[in-house]
Amino acid sequence: MLAVPQPSPAESRENQTFEALLWALSRPGLVRAMPGLGDADLLAALVDRECLVHAADPLLIPAVLKTGAKVAELTDADHVFAGTLGDLAVLDQLQMGSDLYPDDGATLVVHADLKTGPMLRLTGPGVDGTLDVHIGGLPDGFWQRRAQIMRYPAGFELFLLDDDQVMGIPRSTQVEVL
Amino acid sequence: MSLTTLTKPWEAMSYGFLDGSAKRELRRKTLKSVAVPGCQMPYASREVPMARGWGTGGLQVSLTLVNPKTRVKVIDQGADDSVNAASIRRFIARVAGTPTTMDTLEADLIQSRHRIPEEILREDQILVLQVPNPEPLRPVQPNMSIARQMHADADYGRMWLQLYEQIVRSGRVMQGASYPSLVHGRHVMTPSPIPRWDVPKLNMSKHLTILSAGREKRIFAVPPYTRVEPLVFSDVPYKVEEHGHLTCYRSGTKGFFMNEIPQDDGTSTFEVSDSEWGVKAIRKGAGEPVTTGETWYKNGEMPE
Repeated sequence: MLAVPQPSPAESRENQTFEALLWALSRPGLVRAMPGLGDADLLAALVDRECLVHAADPLLIPAVLKTGAKVAELTDADHVFAGTLGDLAVLDQLQMGSDLYPDDGATLVVHADLKTGPMLRLTGPGVDGTLDVHIGGLPDGFWQRRAQIMRYPAGFELFLLDDDQVMGIPRSTQVEVL
Repeated sequence: MSLTTLTKPWEAMSYGFLDGSAKRELRRKTLKSVAVPGCQMPYASREVPMARGWGTGGLQVSLTLVNPKTRVKVIDQGADDSVNAASIRRFIARVAGTPTTMDTLEADLIQSRHRIPEEILREDQILVLQVPNPEPLRPVQPNMSIARQMHADADYGRMWLQLYEQIVRSGRVMQGASYPSLVHGRHVMTPSPIPRWDVPKLNMSKHLTILSAGREKRIFAVPPYTRVEPLVFSDVPYKVEEHGHLTCYRSGTKGFFMNEIPQDDGTSTFEVSDSEWGVKAIRKGAGEPVTTGETWYKNGEMPE
């Protein structure tokens, strides 16, 4: 009998991060705990040298380079780590993919407040009926602009990070600001 | 930056057989496929020590998802003990050190070939379906570039035409397995060759379903609480196999999907297809304490 391979600490962490992300994206609006604080874990789990990454925070660049990914402009990037959003300019430059290849749409990672803030009503796949959540720390008009620029199935995925908490908002989710 | 920071300690084999880059690619594509339910996403589909077409797609997803605590169940046409299921289960346990089970209720991850278990899956369970042919448009459009354009345009007229022709020719829809279904009102997908009996189980289910075709290199998903509607005409309702009244000759359980076993005298007997459900029924009959979950079908009918 062969010895069973043991997961390295890094491998376990990536696996847990992915589990949290998958769970969060398949149940939009529900918060899931990640094994660590945000961006770096997400990078390690998802990004490698096939990716084009844009990071707003220069402190994140060494971690990006370590994965082997290329640092790219916002308009080319498939993974965008925007930190805390100051304005809506990021949204207008994001890759949306196309009807032919919806998977070319970007993954946007943003820091937000998942406990307080304006009340939103989510509907769509993964939401049992409707779900009301509070999301703060995003610029005014974020959700309206998101709805304007996306034409399903083209669009982008949004991961909201609050310390070690993550919430996923896929493009299929409709967000109504209450 | 030095060589030591770029390299990792030597390992005889990566955990879960797939290397880091294969897993990361699958993670990215799995997330995208969850975000666009029913839309086929291309992925690289790495080599695994199994012939393509024998569940390599499902296996790659399972190997990406597992950790040493994930309890894995593998089914082949409903049975836990057929060759394909047994060898995939043993392989996952060997390369990932996962505990295995045959009980649907105990499993965290269920990889399945062409059946969905009869017991209702919970929110924390993930179903991975092996898909031989992910393209529902292939019978009507063999050119996959044009088929992709048709998906982009939501141009599914030929699917309806195909169903119409079957009804005109044979009086009913002849599609037995992999019944084309509309997901989230936008993309038509093949639910993999599960029988018609199983398609309603995907509609607004509590669990996440990931469908992966290794040979064809496509992955797609049905998130929880997502509409999955079989394509039907409003005046010709969707029909599941008429198995509701059949009784399993071994376990005596009634009202579930059955395997037909032809007899020498020309008649047939029937055996419940979900083997673990049959085992539970036999154990229950023998007076053993058995926990059974709630089933999707009740008295041979799917409740509305």
